[in-house]
Amino acid sequence: MKPPQILSLALAAGCALSVAACSSAGINTKTPAASSSESDYPSKDITLIVQAAAGGGSDLSSRALASAMEPILGKSIIVENRPGASGSTAMLHVKDQPADGYTIGFAPVEISMLGSLNYDIAPSDYDMLGQIMLGPGVISVPADSPYNTLKEFVEAAKTTELTAANSGSGSIWEMAGLSLADATGAKIKSVPFDGGAPAVAAVLGKQVDAAFSGVNEVKQNLEDGKLKVLAIFHSERHPELPDVPTATEQGVNIEIGGWGGIYAPKGLPAEVKKTLEKAIKEATEQDSYKNVITSSGNLVVYRNSKEFSTFANDEAERFAQLLGK
Amino acid sequence: MNAIIDGLSALFEPIALLCFVIGLGLGLLVGIFPGITISMAVALATSFTLTLEPAQGLAMLLAIYVSAQYGDRIPSILLNTPGTPAAVATTLDGYPMAKKGQAGLALSISAIATTVGILMSMIVLMFFAQPIAQFALNFGPFEMFALVSFGLTVIISISTQSLAKGIFAGLLGITFGMVGLDPITGDPRFVFGTNELTSGLHFIAIIIGLFGITEVLDQILTYRRDKTHVITSLGRWWPTKSEMRQVAKPMALSGALGALIGVIPAAGGDIAGLIGWNRAKAISKKPEEFGKGSIEGLVGSDTASASTLGGALTTTLSLGIPGDSVMAVMIGSMIIWGIQPGPSLFERRPDIVVIIIAVMLLATLASTIISLVRTRAMTRLLDLPPQLIWGIIIVFCIVGTYSTTNNILTVIQMLVFGLLGLLLRRIGVPAGPVVLGFLLGPLAESNLRRAMLIGPPTEFITRPISLILLICTVAGLVWPTIARQLKQHKAAL
Repeated sequence: MKPPQILSLALAAGCALSVAACSSAGINTKTPAASSSESDYPSKDITLIVQAAAGGGSDLSSRALASAMEPILGKSIIVENRPGASGSTAMLHVKDQPADGYTIGFAPVEISMLGSLNYDIAPSDYDMLGQIMLGPGVISVPADSPYNTLKEFVEAAKTTELTAANSGSGSIWEMAGLSLADATGAKIKSVPFDGGAPAVAAVLGKQVDAAFSGVNEVKQNLEDGKLKVLAIFHSERHPELPDVPTATEQGVNIEIGGWGGIYAPKGLPAEVKKTLEKAIKEATEQDSYKNVITSSGNLVVYRNSKEFSTFANDEAERFAQLLGK
Repeated sequence: MNAIIDGLSALFEPIALLCFVIGLGLGLLVGIFPGITISMAVALATSFTLTLEPAQGLAMLLAIYVSAQYGDRIPSILLNTPGTPAAVATTLDGYPMAKKGQAGLALSISAIATTVGILMSMIVLMFFAQPIAQFALNFGPFEMFALVSFGLTVIISISTQSLAKGIFAGLLGITFGMVGLDPITGDPRFVFGTNELTSGLHFIAIIIGLFGITEVLDQILTYRRDKTHVITSLGRWWPTKSEMRQVAKPMALSGALGALIGVIPAAGGDIAGLIGWNRAKAISKKPEEFGKGSIEGLVGSDTASASTLGGALTTTLSLGIPGDSVMAVMIGSMIIWGIQPGPSLFERRPDIVVIIIAVMLLATLASTIISLVRTRAMTRLLDLPPQLIWGIIIVFCIVGTYSTTNNILTVIQMLVFGLLGLLLRRIGVPAGPVVLGFLLGPLAESNLRRAMLIGPPTEFITRPISLILLICTVAGLVWPTIARQLKQHKAAL
């Protein structure tokens, strides 16, 4: 028995027990320590709000980043899940917190989409601190599909409307389908499923002509020859799918994916913002963080506060255009 | 053979065994505690097991998965409050049995049924994983709609008192299910301009409200100091031989059904339990006892919901598609351990498959023993003064519900459903069909509309699985009426 194992085991037991027994992980007292000045930030624990339930991709990325940031900041980062209403519950909650750096959040790609979907949310409402990951989208078809390249698929879809599954209405993978149709003139009928896995299952079961999803949902079935991946919507090939050409390589210039970053209520003190930005950047360079992100089929893509802010705003504009609003 | 030795030797190391024991204990706690779902517990444990070896992590996560199946039956039977959604159907006959003074017997039978269910489904996983998983892929939107329609006919048999009231309850559930975003267009429906309701009404809040809170409120309002306490811990706790014979048939049928339902990605233990209960009633010689404390009913629900475990694992491991919400979380951590579930897993990592099967079997065995041993102690709980029990249930319900979203509005929803449940109970409307309608209504709608997007409606009858299921649905609707006519006809002769 190696000591680290025993330690993590004890941690696991202790934390899981406390969660199961009293479930108080989420109860935070949000009274800011009035006396602490911004120069000795952080002087107490930081709460990181996640818009999804525990166990999903957003949660996993957030927890990995939080544990990489803790030694850098020297304080604990408490991950708090506030799922619901397409993530808007968490985003509105973050907006309402004091801008003191003790409440930050995981900003998923939806933060740029919700504004076009009747929510009062925009990236410009927040201080965007840095992008931490990107999960590029792919298009897959059944193994015995007549289409072998993105071009063949697009050409066929110009004459007959083809069906494409995605992870849900208003999801980033529905946007991927809209983008492809918008850029090529292909007629693609969006069939929203309840999550990425059922969407890919629909391709495996040949219920639909194609599916838009993330890399992880297709990787193993691609290796086992159960489906074909026509293209990846990213600037370069994915290390996990080296044989899958990018859409750009095939003459369709689309990049789309589910990204994530860290944000905070607007108006952080400059000193605090700088500390957080630096800690986020350093955390994304840690191996422990990189391992979690890459092994779940995503890429570690870092953008600093300014770049991320511009990027999120550009994305919001692009989605608004696609959704015709 | 090497794979078996490798797998088992990784599992029988001190740390892995310790993980297993911790998982077992956690699972039992999580199950008993209403509101904390198994997927939530597994998700939170995952953030710590990621740093462990796969065998150690799997030992802990799967032990939680299995032992929670035993824990969640306890509050269903003793307090009419499902510990997790999978134990909703357990309340139908489990609680009436406890009321009759058979709490001990109900707990033992439930544990036995759960064990048989898991073991049956593990046989499916061990021997037929590949063909069955491939079969599950045939369940597209057309087939799913037909299956869900069939599931909705359960409302008829679940309405033991009055069919009209049962159908009303079912429609109420379906209506509640419509709140939120339209599954295809994403437009908000019945959200009254609020953000909170766009994710729909909260399932955990509904079941805890309708069952737990309603029960407590009802007991408080009807409590008379001089009246003797209705539920007592008296009674046998071990079934007789004739009872064992009586439940053998529903056990086998529900177990097989549950395993099949578990294989289908969108359906889990909650739906399986209700359908299993319904099928057990259909083949029973004493259907009139169902809902009033029938051991066959209890066996029907618990075997079916437990046997979704092996089914869900089958889909997860051999297709790489999560078979239920717990498996969705588990796939995440398996991938980080470098184990990619999918069609070739059985050839690529047989040692992992061995570990999974071994943990499932060991956890089942250990949970059964623990459950049977502590049955007596558990029933003592009922000897506590009712005021104390009410307080405990209310605290548990509120804390449990809050923990699902960290949002006080979810707790308010639960309390509203508690009051609504009380109102429904007073006018004789059963809560079971409300839950069923809420679960199945949205599934029926989204699959129907997906099907209409994909192909012409004629495919409902040209696809064989869909056709068979729709015929079963119609038969399920019409048959009770025909049967009644025939009976009257015979009586008249």
